[in-house]
Amino acid sequence: MSQPDEESGLRIEGRRARDARRHSHEAMHTVFEVYALHPDARYAAQAAEAALALTQRLERDLSRFIANSDISRINRLEAGEATRVSLETLECLVIARHMFEVTDGAFDISIGTGLSSIELDEDALVVRATQPGVRLDLGGIGKGYAVDLMADVLEEWGLRVALVHGGFSSVLALDGPVDGEGWPLTLSDPAAPARVLARLSACQTSIGASGLVKGDHIVDPRTGEPVRGRRAAWVAAPRPATRGQAAADGAPRLAVTAVTDALTTACMVMSVDEITALCARSPGLEAWVLEDHGQDGAGEAGLRHFGGMHSDGPVALQTGDA
Amino acid sequence: MAGEDGKDKVAPRTTEGQRKLDRRDVLMGLSTVPALGLFGYAWRKQNQVKQAAARAAVAPREAAAAGDVREVNVALLGAGAQGQVLTEAMQRIPGLRFRAVCDIWTEYNQRRVVNTLKRYGHEVNGYVDYREMLDKEPAIEAVVIATPDFWHAEHAIACMKAGKHVYCEKEMSNTLEGARNMVLAARETGKLLQIGHQRRSNPRYIHCHDKLLKEANLLGRIVTVNGQWNRAVAADLGAPDRYAIPQATLTQFGFKDMHQFRNWRWYKGLGGGPIVDLGSHQIDIYSWFLGSNPTHVTASGGLLYHDPKTHEWYDTVMVIYDYMTPAGPAKAYYQTQTTNGSQGYFETFMGDQGTLLISESELNNPGSIYRDPNAPAWDAWIQKGYIGAPVIPEAKDEEEGASGAIADVRESAAPDRHKVPVALTDPYHQPHLQNFFDAVRGKARLNCPAEVGYESAVAVLKVNEAIESNTRLAFRPEDFKVGGEA
Ligand SMILES: NC(=O)c1ccc[n+]([C@@H]2O[C@H](COP(=O)([O-])OP(=O)(O)OC[C@H]3O[C@@H](n4cnc5c(N)ncnc54)[C@H](O)[C@@H]3O)[C@@H](O)[C@H]2O)c1
Repeated sequence: MSQPDEESGLRIEGRRARDARRHSHEAMHTVFEVYALHPDARYAAQAAEAALALTQRLERDLSRFIANSDISRINRLEAGEATRVSLETLECLVIARHMFEVTDGAFDISIGTGLSSIELDEDALVVRATQPGVRLDLGGIGKGYAVDLMADVLEEWGLRVALVHGGFSSVLALDGPVDGEGWPLTLSDPAAPARVLARLSACQTSIGASGLVKGDHIVDPRTGEPVRGRRAAWVAAPRPATRGQAAADGAPRLAVTAVTDALTTACMVMSVDEITALCARSPGLEAWVLEDHGQDGAGEAGLRHFGGMHSDGPVALQTGDA
Repeated sequence: MAGEDGKDKVAPRTTEGQRKLDRRDVLMGLSTVPALGLFGYAWRKQNQVKQAAARAAVAPREAAAAGDVREVNVALLGAGAQGQVLTEAMQRIPGLRFRAVCDIWTEYNQRRVVNTLKRYGHEVNGYVDYREMLDKEPAIEAVVIATPDFWHAEHAIACMKAGKHVYCEKEMSNTLEGARNMVLAARETGKLLQIGHQRRSNPRYIHCHDKLLKEANLLGRIVTVNGQWNRAVAADLGAPDRYAIPQATLTQFGFKDMHQFRNWRWYKGLGGGPIVDLGSHQIDIYSWFLGSNPTHVTASGGLLYHDPKTHEWYDTVMVIYDYMTPAGPAKAYYQTQTTNGSQGYFETFMGDQGTLLISESELNNPGSIYRDPNAPAWDAWIQKGYIGAPVIPEAKDEEEGASGAIADVRESAAPDRHKVPVALTDPYHQPHLQNFFDAVRGKARLNCPAEVGYESAVAVLKVNEAIESNTRLAFRPEDFKVGGEA
């Protein structure tokens, strides 16, 4: 699935936000960044470095391009074979499987090769294949998961005013740079980045973005057919208060950015009715879809809004470069 | 629905049309809709965990039951970055039962590893003092040591004297005396001592050494070697303020302050700087593949970039070793620097018939062998599966990305490039640990026993000495022996 990072259509703007110190690191074929405001710049840099170091570790487990990653080993399993994986890989797979169910197969890390033939033993950290030939690709969830873990590290270090993102397609805003306000973000048309579609103020919120540029296509894993009529999708959800539970609790993390990451990919292929239903049964979830032909009279590329806590209909678009 | 009371908390749109997404309480609403909610997976699991915990208390570990491997009781001494990597790898090795974790950073590293292990059914106790651990945990059979280098000798020797087999991370010790005493202790106690030069158990390195170099002699006469580990600038390591270790504890365990505790590698008397930290892995391979230890070392290095207040060792080192190999003289260059990560880490062995480019990294350039245009054909070795078919030039760029290391080799002579068809499929340290535990069970010989680790330490530690004295230093063959060898 294609998620060109430069085309996520999600950006930070605003002066105070730009004051935040930026730290970056390349991994998972994208650039991860930490924006943080903290009185001690050296301390903040060390915290950011500790958080960014995680991305490399996760890539080693999750990348299908690395021969000795967990995912590569799973992808080589024959029927009846099993392999041990890291706690993080297993957690990511558990979340991915759940998102497969929640989206009725629209988000599928096996891209139609048979997620159901993979069994997860959460206690023994074992993944078993019942059929050969499954090919997992965590490209649509791994970055978000990494962002969630990075945020936990920043909080452990006491950095609260921060924003973490992977290629701006997986964004997690912690506390905002100005008291009582969130991080100022814009959603814009990936095909025309100057065209700002909406402005958001986000804190303790995760936002995922998926976008296409000309020539790209995205395949619906349920049909194998390329999807038409969608240019971009964004999904936002509030960060749970009980996030990042200690491993000793035994339950997987409430990894909200992994969730929104998966859902943006799903929102590129789900029907309007499906997205509406998903948001209706998931209070707090909010989605935007940029349609390609403006079937709705909303202009040549119309933005549709779904969900959120307010019942007052779709967001009024802020078009133009105001 | 819980959403109703969440609604009040949603700030209204501002006049600019901005909206607040600050609705963390809404998620609490989600948590009351278990299975279907976005975090349904966590709910499901919470219920299972209670049952699983009960099960784990009675059932024997699956691994021991699964195969006929004998269960080995293990302790981890040093639960930092590398201790966690090793623990993670060990969790994939059947038949290991963790009993104890010793680390002086109780609130952070120790707690993290203990919690993780407990989650997976290991009943582990945490210790600050390794002596207390050795006293109170008689069932431990093997200790895996990943403390800072200057602790290795004391820790490894005490463990072996207490009757434990030891896997000890490289560098074996920060001093030759420490390393020598470790070899002697291993001999004296008859315990196994594996040093953590994990490339020695890496299937690709073993294939290259055993098959490509020794059996097929594909490179012909190796005359030069080149290798490097370059790293980009990184901030010094820090620690979350709230987990700072009390000064008395730091002092007791030989650290001046938290900064030194986290960045011990850069300090004299604690670590050896990048040449020991990084170079030791690859210089170990030089000697292994060349089949001999060096005769001389020339080195230049300095602290060219980092702050001398917090960095005592050289951040930039360039070394030339001389070897007298069984096939004739050879020279090997090695560089490590910490200001630019260009081309990462690799080793290149150059013979009169070919070039081997190898790296531990599974991501960049793991293994290629190039045939000199004048060398005999390699078809038979391709058929035997020792090397891949020649890679067609057009496909190169696509396959390997823009790797400068390959481009250099290619430009000089345009030799055929073949892939080394063996990849590591397990996590990086697993095969070396597996080899150790196989040896503990009497089913294998160590791939990097104390004597081999010692030879490597002799070659590596001499570099810093050569830089300091600014002269070419000679090794005598007996320098690589601790004396009294059989
Ligand atoms: N083989 C490899 O590829 C590789 C990679 C990284 C590190 N290493 C080696 O592993 C070792 C540890 O390196 P690291 O990066 O994990 O360092 P680290 O500083 O992250 O971890 C060291 C840990 O040891 C603990 N410790 C220090 N002194 C102790 C003592 N006296 N008793 C008990 N615990 C003590 C510290 O609290 C810390 O948790 C080093 O020898 C290093 O060279 C090997």
